[in-house]
Amino acid sequence: MASRTKQKEEARARRLAEEQAAQLKARRNRRLQMLAGVLLGAAAVVAVAIAISSKNTPASTSSHVNTTQKRHIVNQVSTLLSGIPQNGTTLGNASAPVTMTYYGDLECPYCSDFTRLGGLSQFISNEVRTGKAKVIYKSFCTATCNGPGQQVFNTQQVAAYAAGEQKRFWDYAELFYREQGAEGSGYVNENYLKGLAQQTPGLDIAKWQTDRGNPALLAQVQSDGTAGTAAGVQGTPTLVMKGPKGAVAVPSDASSPGITDYSALQQAVNQVS
Amino acid sequence: VSATSATTEPTSSATRSRTRPSGLTIGIIVFCLLGVVDAGYLVYVHYAKLTILCVGGHHGQSSCATVQSSPYAQLDGVPVALLGLIGYVVILLSLALRGELGRAIGFGVALIGFGFSMYLTYRELFTIHAICEWCVGSATIMTVLVVLTGIRFLRAAQ
Repeated sequence: MASRTKQKEEARARRLAEEQAAQLKARRNRRLQMLAGVLLGAAAVVAVAIAISSKNTPASTSSHVNTTQKRHIVNQVSTLLSGIPQNGTTLGNASAPVTMTYYGDLECPYCSDFTRLGGLSQFISNEVRTGKAKVIYKSFCTATCNGPGQQVFNTQQVAAYAAGEQKRFWDYAELFYREQGAEGSGYVNENYLKGLAQQTPGLDIAKWQTDRGNPALLAQVQSDGTAGTAAGVQGTPTLVMKGPKGAVAVPSDASSPGITDYSALQQAVNQVS
Repeated sequence: VSATSATTEPTSSATRSRTRPSGLTIGIIVFCLLGVVDAGYLVYVHYAKLTILCVGGHHGQSSCATVQSSPYAQLDGVPVALLGLIGYVVILLSLALRGELGRAIGFGVALIGFGFSMYLTYRELFTIHAICEWCVGSATIMTVLVVLTGIRFLRAAQ
């Protein structure tokens, strides 16, 4: 009798131990699944966030900008400039009290940085769009003259000025800066310039081609350079803010000259307003 | 007597752990609050349009402002600092949730914050070529939090 009871107790203890072990295993499995779920879920969210953030990644270090990237760049530029008056190389209301003169070279990577990473976009959205300021672009040869040379500089700057004859200089220039190839790689050729023209919304290509031969535009590029030299411009981008209280040169970061941020532009506007 | 004490001791220990936060929990709270201050300051500066305090400054510009005005400072129009602030608050709130779900949420959010912080640090170093001390601070806090919340999550799994 005692032996039967003992056997029963042993069997019960065994069953309980097995049940406990099974429960422990199930719990461990569930937690492993949860850990895997947390890791995978977090990785998926981070991947999506990086994909969204990388849409802002400039394609400037490569001239191989694919069609999807180009479409995205065109949308960015259109959103930025849509509805803002343009006249030649001037962006914004002609009667805006503050004028920012921007000396640039379309092949200059620092100017590209100013467009992509610096405060230009915010300045256009906040100051130019609201009529507080306008931007006048002037050509000044730096990177192009250190690489392909003056001839290429004249050709590319005139191509942008020719778009300006149809009030689309800024669209063309912004596309140029956002699709810039590697410095000194010789990426600026007829195909590249024409490709930008084709991406510029509403540009009459035939008229643009004709205007490229207009000697007045070449003369304008050359006189911009002369004016820059006279004003003491040494590099690009050089930004001069002028308003009712005078003119100031917008300081640039010594280590990253292109990345003039929005606060520096705002500060300059306040100084001259 | 010994049987009685063996059954009552874990109960009292469990009661203590419910009423008194562990060192790990306190650590998570402290780092979350540091993160809230860091990200909160960046959010405040962004919306109040103030000049950001920064150690690395050149010619009236700062490396922090350079990073903050870059396209990487926003995710589809939302300031990443605001996302970070929300992340710290969620990790903090996850401590109030009992059981595995709270631990999993805390660890998961810290993992997301850590992963995205690493990406942003990469962008600072190799794309923007400027370092924002506030962002590095936040990335460091998130790294500590991923370790702490990870330990908390894995301890529960044992």
